Amino acid sequence: MQKSALASTSIMIPAFLKAYQPQQLQNSRSGKVLVVVQFSGGNDGLNTIVPFRNDIYYQNRPSLGINANDVVQVSDQLGFNPALQALQSLYDDGLMSIINNVGYPNPDRSHFRSMDIWHTASDSSEYLSTGWLGRYLDSNCQGCEAAHGALELDDGLSLALKGAERKGYAMSDPGQLKKRTSNPLLKHLAKQTHHHEEENVAYLYKTLANTYSSADYLFEQSKVYRSTTAYPTTAFGKHLKQIAELISADTDTRIYYLSLSGFDTHANQKNQQERLLKQYAEGMKAFVNDLKKNDLLDDTLIMTFSEFGRRVKQNASRGTDHGTANNLFLIGGDIKRPGFYNEGPDLRNLDKGDLIYKVDFRNVYATILDKWLGSQPHTILNKSFRSMDFI
Amino acid sequence: MENINHLYWRAGFGLDLQEWQDKKNWSIQKAVDHLFAQAKQHSQQTISQDATAGIQPNMSDEQKAEARKRERRLVVLQSVDWIKRMASSDESPLLEKMSLFWHGHFACQSKNATLANNQLNTIRQHALGNFKDLVLAIARDPSMIRFLNNQQNKKLKPNENFARELMELFTIGRGNYTEQDIKEAARAFTGWSSNFKGEFIFRPGIHDYGRKTFFGKSGRFDGTDIIDMILEKRATADFIVTKIYRYFVNENVDVGIIADLSRQFYDSSYDIGALMRVIFTSDWFYTKQNRGTKIKSPVELMAGMLKSLDVDFENELALAFLQKSLGQSLFNPPNVAGWPGNKNWVDNSTLLMRLNLPAYLFHSKEVNFKLKEEFEARQKNKVTRRLMAKVDLSQIYTLVKGKALQEQLDLLSQYLFAQQPSLSIPLFERITRGKTEEETIKIQLIGLLSLPEYQMC
Repeated sequence: MQKSALASTSIMIPAFLKAYQPQQLQNSRSGKVLVVVQFSGGNDGLNTIVPFRNDIYYQNRPSLGINANDVVQVSDQLGFNPALQALQSLYDDGLMSIINNVGYPNPDRSHFRSMDIWHTASDSSEYLSTGWLGRYLDSNCQGCEAAHGALELDDGLSLALKGAERKGYAMSDPGQLKKRTSNPLLKHLAKQTHHHEEENVAYLYKTLANTYSSADYLFEQSKVYRSTTAYPTTAFGKHLKQIAELISADTDTRIYYLSLSGFDTHANQKNQQERLLKQYAEGMKAFVNDLKKNDLLDDTLIMTFSEFGRRVKQNASRGTDHGTANNLFLIGGDIKRPGFYNEGPDLRNLDKGDLIYKVDFRNVYATILDKWLGSQPHTILNKSFRSMDFI
Repeated sequence: MENINHLYWRAGFGLDLQEWQDKKNWSIQKAVDHLFAQAKQHSQQTISQDATAGIQPNMSDEQKAEARKRERRLVVLQSVDWIKRMASSDESPLLEKMSLFWHGHFACQSKNATLANNQLNTIRQHALGNFKDLVLAIARDPSMIRFLNNQQNKKLKPNENFARELMELFTIGRGNYTEQDIKEAARAFTGWSSNFKGEFIFRPGIHDYGRKTFFGKSGRFDGTDIIDMILEKRATADFIVTKIYRYFVNENVDVGIIADLSRQFYDSSYDIGALMRVIFTSDWFYTKQNRGTKIKSPVELMAGMLKSLDVDFENELALAFLQKSLGQSLFNPPNVAGWPGNKNWVDNSTLLMRLNLPAYLFHSKEVNFKLKEEFEARQKNKVTRRLMAKVDLSQIYTLVKGKALQEQLDLLSQYLFAQQPSLSIPLFERITRGKTEEETIKIQLIGLLSLPEYQMC
């Protein structure tokens, strides 16, 4: 039986639909939801949050630099790439906190390594095989016991959601998931109560059972609420819409994870990056509106990051190469320090042409783990990182 | 017979039907002797078509990008070739399995097919030989040198990456050396490089000939000396034996057995073949707690299925798709620590892919899986709709036709499984009711291969 939600949210599910909840132990999603948006490929931060009053920026990007007149000048020194126009109302409403110069010591400029570092919250020279959110699941987090406690909108699961014992759940689309679980023999096996002495076999059967019960649950949940907001018609837009619908249906998933890829703009950056940022901004705007409509925005936090930024100087192919520190966005209804959290990039003091980080991304993680998800950051991150105050 | 299955799944990739019928009643001694004899006769793996030595210095940016793309594709084809080789009855299963282990141990992302193939052949040469020779060969391997940045390791500006991974992951393990040891070791490896043809070369101009202090000793050490000194420590034998034990026997270590094996390994001057022989002929290898306890890696699963089922994929790249979707891409481990294995292979997505594989192969059931985008790619990945494959079951039909259901199930599960599972006869009766004999056999096969127990070896 479903436990009732906390009073802080009002869930608009018609009473008759509650009958569709499958008979299983599950908590209602009471409490905060985290949505992680990953920009894959290394988004060029300098052309995302543009230091339009900084000469050094224009000197280094004679053709790639964004004209001050085109920049959405949300603040005195820093503004948005025009493709992020749709985010302006979010910024003006105090729903965004933008942290500049986020990175880590001894930055790695290889996609795989840097993304792994962000996923595992490791040091630059460490190799971990579990992700920070996976370890959060391992920590017996309240309200995320179900296999779908952390849900990735993809056919495969990212390292970020892999714990030692518990893992997140990959589902690109509830209809697809239903087809993948339609095999009658597997359905039968999933429902068996097996007793296995052998640990790994038991793990397989347990994962199978959880896979099926979560698949059924998510499929039912996906039918509860239909958003009428217009999202971008891309895969990213569809995934965001799916998440909004699941949150609005009071699904007991605490963490959602999704990616937008194509940011590795070594050549002909302008149009490629604009396309992606526009998709992102319009998607975010629709998403925030949806949650606001259902009074769920206060309980939702969206973190957007990329595995690294790009070099200050443009290259010879009208693009930029792999860099280091980057900006990171936090969006939600409960942002305590809206606007720009800290100063923009220091273009005067570079490390061989790359930005030097000022905020270790693990401080951002620690803050979220501590204040948003109510867990113990130092056990999950294997080290002490001080929380910040954006929430 | 169960011992034979267990041996061949751990020392190889299972048995095909002919092999199983021939060998199922062999003694372990005979089987082990045969495995080692086969390993001595291996052939070099050749590179598939159109191999070049990779990116040349005088290429334009565009040519380089094209070359990179071509190379990536060739590496993928090479990985498919290797899986087929693992499944082939003409090759040595023990050598291929041992090479797979070392490939995961000396984890290296190879961007060039020629270099990847050379590295793999180098591994094969020493896989069952002497560990010191193997380490030295890997330290001189161009693909490894490039992956761990030893090209950039120069006198006056040493790059510690290779020295660090050599000690931390490839030989002695953490806690047995200091940061200073790494710094000094890095100096010893300066100049170990490769040329544009993809060959090892020593560049004396950038080698640091000065005195180094390593493990408390001083001298004008070079890389070979460092490797000698690392292997002089028993801790290296401990580290390697532990890794081998966890891969081939059980992920949970038996401290006493490992201590014994390590002593033997060290005293034999790191004879890998001798070590493996001891493992495969020891009683404890065949105890219940070591059987059917390992979750097959994606590659073991694929090679095993190819071997036992005579599968013919219409599109070669099906095996590339499966590597990616199941989380193990040969020549492309996630990082230098390799693949952790066992539970790490399994989440809801990979489990569904594994358990649905028989349906995908036999029924052409829709897969509809979209892989995660490559970081560098500008185009989106396509959705993989189906895995088109032909499975020739004629030999299996001959084996079991005319027999009662229970007997058929028994035979099939004895053949397919490393460790026979307990089966629900009523379930199989139900799903085969009213079917022709051919259909019945096929249904049994699919049913057995879809069991979680089939994922174990």
